[in-house]
Amino acid sequence: MARQTTGKRKRTLSQQQAAWALLAPFLATYCAFLVYPFFKGVWISLHDWNLLAVAMNPAAAKWVGLHNYVHMLWGRNITWGPLSHPLVQLLALAVLAGAFGLHRAGRLSGRSAIPIAIAALLIFLLLGFTPGEGGRWFDRRFWPTVGNTVLFVALAAPGTTIAALLLAAALNRETRMMAVFRTLFFLSQVLSVTVVTLIWQIMFSPTQGLIDNVIRVFGGSPVSWLTDPHFAMLAIVVTTIWWSLGIAMILFLAGMQDINREIYEAAALDNARGWKSFWFITLPNLKRTITLVVVLQIILHFQVFGQSHLMTQGGPDDRTQVLVRYIYQSAFRDSEIGRASAMAVFLFAIMSVFAVIQFLIGREKSE
Amino acid sequence: MTSKRSYYWLCIALAIPAFIWLVPTLWMVSLSFQPNEVLARTTASTWLGMIPIPFTWDNYAKLFSFGDTPRWFFNSIVVAGGMTLAVLAVSTTAGYALARLEFRFKTAITIFILLGLMVPEQAIFIPLYTMLAKFGWHNSYGALILPRVAVPIGVFLMMQFFKAAPKDIEDAARIDGVGPFQIFWFVMLPLARPAMMTLAILTFLYAWNDYLWPLVSASHKEMFTITLGLASLQSNFAQSEGLGRVMASGVIASLPVVVLFLIFQRYVVQAMTVGGSKG
Repeated sequence: MARQTTGKRKRTLSQQQAAWALLAPFLATYCAFLVYPFFKGVWISLHDWNLLAVAMNPAAAKWVGLHNYVHMLWGRNITWGPLSHPLVQLLALAVLAGAFGLHRAGRLSGRSAIPIAIAALLIFLLLGFTPGEGGRWFDRRFWPTVGNTVLFVALAAPGTTIAALLLAAALNRETRMMAVFRTLFFLSQVLSVTVVTLIWQIMFSPTQGLIDNVIRVFGGSPVSWLTDPHFAMLAIVVTTIWWSLGIAMILFLAGMQDINREIYEAAALDNARGWKSFWFITLPNLKRTITLVVVLQIILHFQVFGQSHLMTQGGPDDRTQVLVRYIYQSAFRDSEIGRASAMAVFLFAIMSVFAVIQFLIGREKSE
Repeated sequence: MTSKRSYYWLCIALAIPAFIWLVPTLWMVSLSFQPNEVLARTTASTWLGMIPIPFTWDNYAKLFSFGDTPRWFFNSIVVAGGMTLAVLAVSTTAGYALARLEFRFKTAITIFILLGLMVPEQAIFIPLYTMLAKFGWHNSYGALILPRVAVPIGVFLMMQFFKAAPKDIEDAARIDGVGPFQIFWFVMLPLARPAMMTLAILTFLYAWNDYLWPLVSASHKEMFTITLGLASLQSNFAQSEGLGRVMASGVIASLPVVVLFLIFQRYVVQAMTVGGSKG
């Protein structure tokens, strides 16, 4: 009996040691290459830190406190007005009113209505800030870059989601033909960003591109898609949808598998098939998956870099300049890693909001 | 009867978008088999260039006889292969410890690791660069692999798996006096093969396709991965390389991941869904 207890104690002790031994390799690399760089990045963002100068002389980093953040976010003579960006601000107000109205009418739960209302209110308030007379943003490129990134997300995320949803609804059948189609639509997803941009850069080329060749066949005049200010953003959005449709489609298919077959069968008796059953059964039952896919696409596309960097080089005239590319340029072309790090922290802050939303939706499922 | 007919209509209706979806990839393959002299003049020789006539193997032959592509391909294999092995090693061990062993601060450590899911690579590549630059590590395989070994998603995936795995075999082994390392190695790892497969494919695809970190870390041409090398060809293909050769490089760069996908489709889809939902 006594031997057994000592044996047990020895065993639990060795379980403690074993646990730490098994965790050690991961924890060491995790701290060295993720946790430490994260805090180091915040530290760098509080300095006037030139990459080359500090590499020569470590004392060249100068503490500036929050100056990089002020420089990034603020400007001279910034004023607030309710109609600085009338279109988007009014839209935000409309969404706010809509969320409130739907909630009052009992069509939208408080848990959905409140975040939407807060987001709309924030957009309305934040977009009210503009440089007044004689004023300007300290960093003229930062907010337009954020605007481009948001525009890119606002086009690519719904585009991908809607296309993937329709495809998934059509492909949600257990036949061999449908499996082949699923494979075809998923295939582009495994390609690297450089292959994708290589393909589409030439697809969109005005002299060699397939698209303009087709236009010529039909007697149209070719468009220089990637250098045209009206089309450049659209071109990289199309490229992105082509690339990232697969994951969204698969997530929707998985969500559709969870919907009870019997609901469809019952509805079929009432003559609800095809579009009707999609609209009245599939869509309402997929609410959670749709939210998840949208949030996922927002996180994914907000970090867009390759498409802009390789296809349009941010142009024409900064129209497709996006946040990660601006961070990359500030750091490695201009060597201003203090400012670049402040932008990286900004990126992290936005991403973490959506990561928390994603986590909350994910938890809903397991409940 | 009607439902069968509507099914055929659906197939036909889907064939059109499916074909359009495939066209860009097919076009790349087709261009890679056409002579550069022809491509310099027109990319629409036969059927808008969709059919490789006139045909040549030249682009592929040249690709392997000179130029950097073979070296880049080799680098990608080393980096993606090395990273996959390393991620598997640290994630299975840590995931097992967190799921099955009792130790102090377990909850705190779990939360500490899961918080890492919120930090995107794009937010830390600058400090990572300065860190490795300080030690003069850039332009090495170590610099391309090491910073991306500790991915919280890997631990998360393995932890989920081990939590759901049956407990009785492990308990039986423990009563027989088998130590925790032996249990991990001889009992749990064989069980975990499907989860490890998913993680391996996720890591391999990520490493093979990653662009930003190699772009930042590797500045010497001979240390480029194929994904990065392809980007460098893109920016100057008009002058130096022929379009056909660049397209051939693109095909070669995609071949491993496409083959991987076609063979292990189920795992790839699973891996990309997990990886995608990581954010």
